[in-house]
Amino acid sequence: MTLTATRFDWVRQLVHRESAIVLAPGKEYLVEARLLPLARKMGMSDVDSFVDSVRSRPRPDDTRSIVEALTTNETSWFRDGDPFTALTSTVLPALLSARGPAERLQIWSAACSSGQEAYTVAMLLEDAMPNASARVSITATDISREMVERTRAGRFSQLEVNRGLPAPMLVRHFQRAGSEWEVAPNLRRMVTARECNLAAPLPRMGPFDVVYLRNVLIYFDLPTKQAILRRVRELMRPDGWLFLGAAETTLGVDDSWSRVVLGRTSAYRPLKGA
Amino acid sequence: MTVPTDSGERRRAGDRPPAIAELIDEATVQEITEQAWLALVGEDEVLVPLPAPLPADTLSSWVEIVGPWTGSVVLTCGRDTALALTRALLREHAPEVLEEEDVDDAMGELANVVGGNVKAVLPGPSVLGLPETGTTPPPGREADTCRVDVLWRGEPLTVSVQSHAERENEVPL
Amino acid sequence: MTVRALVIDDSRAMRRIVTGTLEGFGYETRQAGHGQEALDVLHEGWVPDLCTIDWNMPVMDGLQFVNAVRANPGWRAVTLMMVTSESEHGQIVRALAAGAHEYVIKPFTADAIRDKLALLGLLPQEVSL
Repeated sequence: MTLTATRFDWVRQLVHRESAIVLAPGKEYLVEARLLPLARKMGMSDVDSFVDSVRSRPRPDDTRSIVEALTTNETSWFRDGDPFTALTSTVLPALLSARGPAERLQIWSAACSSGQEAYTVAMLLEDAMPNASARVSITATDISREMVERTRAGRFSQLEVNRGLPAPMLVRHFQRAGSEWEVAPNLRRMVTARECNLAAPLPRMGPFDVVYLRNVLIYFDLPTKQAILRRVRELMRPDGWLFLGAAETTLGVDDSWSRVVLGRTSAYRPLKGA
Repeated sequence: MTVPTDSGERRRAGDRPPAIAELIDEATVQEITEQAWLALVGEDEVLVPLPAPLPADTLSSWVEIVGPWTGSVVLTCGRDTALALTRALLREHAPEVLEEEDVDDAMGELANVVGGNVKAVLPGPSVLGLPETGTTPPPGREADTCRVDVLWRGEPLTVSVQSHAERENEVPL
Repeated sequence: MTVRALVIDDSRAMRRIVTGTLEGFGYETRQAGHGQEALDVLHEGWVPDLCTIDWNMPVMDGLQFVNAVRANPGWRAVTLMMVTSESEHGQIVRALAAGAHEYVIKPFTADAIRDKLALLGLLPQEVSL
């Protein structure tokens, strides 16, 4: 059985709107194969009923999982690497001069998926500072328990380590573990993974010096975007740095941030008194 | 699938090479093969772990691994399946008419990819041989084989990691 | 800007796949079935921006080829990227120590090649899915 044309079109438009990725006609079987596990998780036996249910009552969690199921095979480590370059070139030196030598730097990878972003930050800091594991703690959060567990395990498949991870970093920070690769124990100790729903009141965390909240806001409506940005700001240090996805901005959403251009990327910093 | 007959011989001699069952399991071989299929054959080319009898006319490709463990990694499927695999692997780069050499080459490369990744799981250092293709793979010791049976597009395919038959009486390295 | 790549692999299926992927990114390509054939292409004067290099090949393997290219100062600008099923930690270390810049483990997807080229600054045009 294949998906009806209207349902396929709805999925295509959703995916295009959220990710700019075009699903060519004829990819109905792919949509069917990728969405069936999601449908079953929701207690439905076929993709048609699942799509109907999400269409009639769209929830960001569902739309996000549909888009993710159809767009991401493996998250790339350094693709769109400018927010990471900015971390070591600008953000870290600024933080080190503003903080005392004994102060811990706290970094948050929000919507961490399987942990590539959190471990990328850990690797960069480990390479950039002599005592990174003693000075930095990275909090990685995701709404999905499965993703939190994967992040905690720090294990990645061959296909995953092939995606945009520089080979010198792979050999420096990973060891083989059977058919997979495992992040070095000192990096795993820097990262704490926990479940967290960004659209609900946030747990007590932080205060964070740096927050990566990339490609998440696109899935939410304006009031929710505003609420998320407000809650994130409450968990940040006043001189902290927020990184959003390349196609995202606080402009026109929440005016309590100032935008700072850092090379080819931008960071957002809490406005004083806002 | 035939039930392997275990002679128990390898347990008598402490200086024999390790048995394959102690070094790799079916789940790992299946995982490695699936990743090769997803990346090279197609992103929705799943392998269903179901045993089914191979047709009479089969083609095999294999690579040899020489090291602390010595043996072969052998892929076997029906000849028509091998043809379909070659087309899937080459996608839009496939020539209009597939020659036998194309099929041998594609099957050999799949064995190389699976074999290289199997080698990385086994104790090393080991050396990977160049792939070979034919109707008769090198004989393995059935009792010392890790074999995975899967269906690809409904057609049977087997992946065997088999210790070399002739090593039975050899003095290991 | 035309970017040139020499695709070195003893499997012609693999050469076709890698070549097709690179051409999709705007590369001009040539192919070689082993390291010696690839060296002949370089000696002939066709010096590419990128070589993709399989490890296990007849006549001259990929690691020997990397050593040979690195021994010639005239070829210093050539970026060397291993594309091989050799996937032990130690093998990657060996290839990097010999002078390879990047390492793609087989099996790979076109996305993996694109990501690595982006890291190397060798992606001539941004390509969508």
